[in-house]
Amino acid sequence: MWWSRKTHTQIHASSPSRQVSLNNLTVGWTRHKASFTLKMLTLIHNAIPSSFSSFSVSPFHANYHLSSQTQLLVPSNLNCPFSTTATRKFRTFQLKAGFWESIKSGFTKTNTTQVIDPQSIDEEDEEPLPQEFVLVKKTELDGTVEQIIFSSGGDVDVYDLQALCDKVGWPRRPLSKLAAALKNSYIVASLHSIRKSPGSEGNEQKRLIGMARATSDHAFNATIWDVVVDPGYQGQGLGKALVEKLIRTLLQRDIGNITLFADGQVVEFYGNLGFQADPEGIKGMFWYPNN
Amino acid sequence: MLSRGIISTPHPTSSLRLQPPTATVPRNVTVSLSRPLHSDYPLSISDSVLESRGFALRRSVEGLDLDELNGVFVAVGFPRRDPDKIRLALEHTESMVWVEQRRTRRAVAFARATGDGVFNAIIWDVVVDPSFQGIGLGKAVVERIIQDLVGKGISNIALYSEPRVLGFYRPLGFVADPDGIRGMVYSRKQKKKTGPL
Repeated sequence: MWWSRKTHTQIHASSPSRQVSLNNLTVGWTRHKASFTLKMLTLIHNAIPSSFSSFSVSPFHANYHLSSQTQLLVPSNLNCPFSTTATRKFRTFQLKAGFWESIKSGFTKTNTTQVIDPQSIDEEDEEPLPQEFVLVKKTELDGTVEQIIFSSGGDVDVYDLQALCDKVGWPRRPLSKLAAALKNSYIVASLHSIRKSPGSEGNEQKRLIGMARATSDHAFNATIWDVVVDPGYQGQGLGKALVEKLIRTLLQRDIGNITLFADGQVVEFYGNLGFQADPEGIKGMFWYPNN
Repeated sequence: MLSRGIISTPHPTSSLRLQPPTATVPRNVTVSLSRPLHSDYPLSISDSVLESRGFALRRSVEGLDLDELNGVFVAVGFPRRDPDKIRLALEHTESMVWVEQRRTRRAVAFARATGDGVFNAIIWDVVVDPSFQGIGLGKAVVERIIQDLVGKGISNIALYSEPRVLGFYRPLGFVADPDGIRGMVYSRKQKKKTGPL
């Protein structure tokens, strides 16, 4: 069937219409025991990476009452010269000048999550990527806390995966084969959403909302397949984060050649993550593909 | 799963015509193959013909000298690689086929494939020692590796071809960029594009 040939990717423009503006945001991170906290420094026009202070929303309160709090937890050094162009196929939050203006404009009225816009790695990161960490944390109006957890440990329930694939409209694949494919993949990266309502006595709702996997010979080459993000979570940069972290995990395991097959619509998506189509004229070929 | 098989153009120097499964079905019907393809898959040169020419077909690392293999890689222009890494790669390789010259016990042709064992496979490192090129050994290893993969039920078989050997793979049934799908490779040197669409 046609879908199986490529590294299938599901991204759609389904993001909320609010846009956040930030300029020259520099973020850094330090390691904590269980999670990584983003220490975010924002200045209106020039980010100066000065002393780190733990992230708090109090600067925002000075200008605008926040009805929800958002923490970006990104364990990487991101220098973010943000792209100012939205791509045709999907919109991430555009980060432009005027930080305070955007706050005043009502960004925080809704339960929005501040967008991660993971950039390609400028140089190889020294710090080893942990197997599991919190990518995004947000608090909703009613106090519900939602965390998006990235994991490269392969802890994906095959029933959850099938449900996720159904949600994005992929043809059904036998569960046993799905399970085997996961087991035989070198890395299975996943995004889970964990939601905790206040007063729920610690009862958590955990859902699989994204997955990407890579096959490899463990030494030279890896190929990424099946990149998928729950439609309800698309448009927030999660797909990019998922692939970016998967790449980083592969690089840290010394896999030098990372490849994939991209449908025409998503060539640009992967291009922005550092992939090149037909490098030096090298072409992807398939054996008797269905047309 | 295959439907609407594509008949490849016959290679000028061989009398073989590669045939995909014979079922031709309308586009909107998917066909489940009830038997593996390999029994129908004709080979350009049979095992026995190869044997008669002094070549043996091998499918495991046993008897494969990795330094020699490295030598063949270098001879065809690949970078020389760490033999320990080659060993590691071969341990995690789904399928491999190589041709041994019986008299010298040398590996003269090689191909391997990686994958998830059920859906997808990629063929890597297809090489023929320059002294043994042009006699069908490249075809022999590729055809057999496809046979092995298809026999395991894997029908999504892909590879990355250098421009100068596209013509080698096409008669074997490979199509470049089908449906606009592009092979992409990650490049560390490439900065994030912030530029125009």
